[in-house]
Formats: sequence, structure tokens, C-alpha cells
Amino acid sequence: MITNKLAKMVFGSAFVTAMVVPAMALAQGSAPAAAPDYRATIGKAVAAAIAMSVSALSAGYAQAKIGSAGAGTLAERPEAATYIIVLQALPEIIVLLGFVIAFMINAA
Amino acid sequence: MSSTTTMRRVGASKKDYGYSNARVRGMRSRLLKQSFLDGLMQAKDLGGIITSLMETEYAPDLEERLLHGHTAGQIDLALKDNMVRTFRTVLSLVNDESLAMLGALLGRWDLFNIKTVIRGRHMNLSAEEIVDSMIAVAQLTQIDLDELARQQNVKGVVDTLATWKLPFAVPLRAAMPEYIESGNLAVLELALDKYYMEWATKRLKGRGVNQQLAHRFLGTQIDTIDLLTCLRLLNADLGDQDALRFFLPGGMYVTEGLFGDLAGMSDVDEVYDRLKRTPYGRPLEDVAIKYIESGSVSVFERALEDYLMRRAFAAGRGDPLGVGIIISYLWMKSNEVTNLRIIVKGVSVDMPMERMREELIVV
Repeated sequence: MITNKLAKMVFGSAFVTAMVVPAMALAQGSAPAAAPDYRATIGKAVAAAIAMSVSALSAGYAQAKIGSAGAGTLAERPEAATYIIVLQALPEIIVLLGFVIAFMINAA
Repeated sequence: MSSTTTMRRVGASKKDYGYSNARVRGMRSRLLKQSFLDGLMQAKDLGGIITSLMETEYAPDLEERLLHGHTAGQIDLALKDNMVRTFRTVLSLVNDESLAMLGALLGRWDLFNIKTVIRGRHMNLSAEEIVDSMIAVAQLTQIDLDELARQQNVKGVVDTLATWKLPFAVPLRAAMPEYIESGNLAVLELALDKYYMEWATKRLKGRGVNQQLAHRFLGTQIDTIDLLTCLRLLNADLGDQDALRFFLPGGMYVTEGLFGDLAGMSDVDEVYDRLKRTPYGRPLEDVAIKYIESGSVSVFERALEDYLMRRAFAAGRGDPLGVGIIISYLWMKSNEVTNLRIIVKGVSVDMPMERMREELIVV
């Protein structure tokens, strides 16, 4: 049940990051020409910051859970170290995706 | 009096099951397989059993105990030492939420130990004999149990428990006058049983998934005790006593009404019929032929024990981040130690292998 919650949170936040944030940036970017330039820049910066921070927080949460369970496993079965390191590194992908999205927003 | 709450606990915060469950699953992977138990049963003597067990988790405990002699009694003590050590380790790992739940569930071991002391004192057994029959896996430590066993009489035991402010002293003190008057030990045991079941049920109340699981498991335990009481009452002459006096509240399916119905029945077939719609109908019917052959209620006791053990094992198949994994492991460990003790006793008295296999619980 807790695993489901965790998965929902991680994928939910990644979805929000992927779908909503670029939309916000585009909305800012497609503002009327009369609007001052700084508003679009701030909008992009905020959107990129949200993309990066939400994905980083999600990855941190996932790594904390995997880390504590991994430590428990290693205490009983040291031979599982390789698997634990791989599992521990997996959530980094979420941060990378967030970074890519943030980069795309800035480049738009 | 020492307590488990004073132990250094390495488990994480209030509700984090990740670390503790990973450790427990690691421990579970080292439980002995059925093929190993089969090999042990084929051992020609205790030497063969010791050699096999020295390659397992039991080695450190055996090394310590075997210094006092290579006897079945010492192996038995080593197995118990290992169980106590394992339970204490698990309790030191778990989070606050599961510690509270396990405290309530493992209270049955305290109940068992206190009953053992009281029975021993009632029968005037020696302190050594009493201590050998107890397992300090719950709140009462070995030091506490040694102290209780040293008391002169039943009243001394009750007074000591009251001094330690243990909850079990409350029902014992209340039932003491009746016990002194009648000399009937069942009065104290029934009071203890009722108090424990009510106390544990109250502690396991809650809306959380884990609380519900632990509550269901306790309810199943209460059901099995109630059913066994009913089956024992089938041919008993109660005189003017009310059968409902023996009812333990808090069960999942066996309500006071059902208990009253079952206790009033005269034939075991009626019991099967009445229990058909409960989960206990099938396990009891499965041993019907055995019961007809032997005529002993212990057949049902065994069937209900097996059912309870299966429920405990099933608790570990649910949420990987829940208390079920821990409950399941503790019961598996206790089952393993029981089976090993049966094998050690069996081999030491040259019991046939088939007979030993029959005695083993859910392997």
C-alpha cells in the first residue's frame, strides 16, 4: 500500500512536471507582444525551478526509502550490495528528466 | 523490572518499515528448509544433530550450552536461547508503531510464562524446573522470570507482579480470594486469559491497515482458544456452572452467542454443521476421521494450531512495508524452534521418523 502511494507520488509529480510546467512556460512565452519581456523570463525561471525542485524532491524521497530498506538488506545479506547500489541509483533518472525539462523550458 | 522499551533501538522513525522489514526478510531467508529438517530426523544420534545445527544460525547458542554437556536438555536450552535472542533482535529493530502492536501480540508469551510459574508454584515444583519451561521473548526478561520462579507460593508470585506494576497483576489479585478459598488453579488462569485478551484487543484497536491486520490475527487466536474450549466442553459435566463463563471476548467469528450454542451441543457433527460458514469448519472437518479413530480432542487442538500458524504465515504475504512481515517471521521462527525441539527429543528417545514427522507443525 505504501509502495503504491510512493509510486503514485513519484509518477504524479513527474507527470505534473512534464505536462503542466511546459504549458505554463508556453503560456508565458505566448503572451501578447505588448507585455514586458521580464514577465516571460520570470515565468520561465519559475517553471524551470519547479520542474527541477519537484523532481529532485521526488527522487530524494524515493532514495530515502530505498536507502533505508537497502541498509537493512545489506546488514543481513552483504552479498546483495551490487543490486542495492543499482536500486539506490535508479531514482536519479527522475532528477535527470526534471533537469532536461527545465533545460527545455529555458531554451524555449 | 526490565523492559523491552529500555533497549537501544536502531529502527527508524515512527512508521518507517523499510529498514526493519528488509532486515526481517533477510533473517527469514535463513530459516531452515524442510529438506534440512528431513536430514535432521535421519540423524542416528544427538551428535549428528549437533553437527548439522553447528552450520546454522544456532551455532553460537549451541557452542555456549554444549560446554555443560552434549545432552538433549542442553540442545533444547540452546534452541530456546536462540529464539529469545532472535525475538529481542527483531524488537530492537522495529519502529514505534509495530513495537506497540508486537508488544500486544507477544503478550501471550508473558501470559504463558506467568501461567507456568503459577502452575509450578501451585504444584510445588523447584525453581529450576519452572524456569526450564519458560521462554522470555516478550516484556518479561529471563531475570524477571527467575525472580518469579523463586517465589515461595502463588501469592508471592502475584505480589511480585503487583510490585512491578505489571497489568497481569490486576486480574490475579482480583481472583486471588476465590483461588485461596477453592484451591482451583483454573480460576486464576481464566482471569489471566480474559484480562490478556481484553488488554491486547484494546491495544490493537485502530483504523490503520497494520492495526487491522494485527487485530485480525489476535481475533483468530482468541477464536481458536474459544473453539477448543467448546470442543472440550462437549462431553464435560459442568454441573451448575455456566459455559459462558469460559468465553473469551474479542474473537473474529466466535461470538458469545455462537460459543453458547457450541458449548451446549452434545455431538461433534453438530459442531461441524454450525461452523460450516466460518473459516474453522474446513480444518476441523479435515481431521474428523482422526478424531473418530483417537477420540482425543488434541486432534482438534493440533488442527487449530496448524490453522493459526497458516494465518501467521499468510500475514507475511501482504504489504511488504507492513507489520505482517514481522508477525509472520516471529511465528515462523517460533514454529521452527518448536519443530527442532521435537526432532531433538525424538532422536534422543529413538522415535520412528514417521512419528516425528507427524508431530511437526506446518513444515
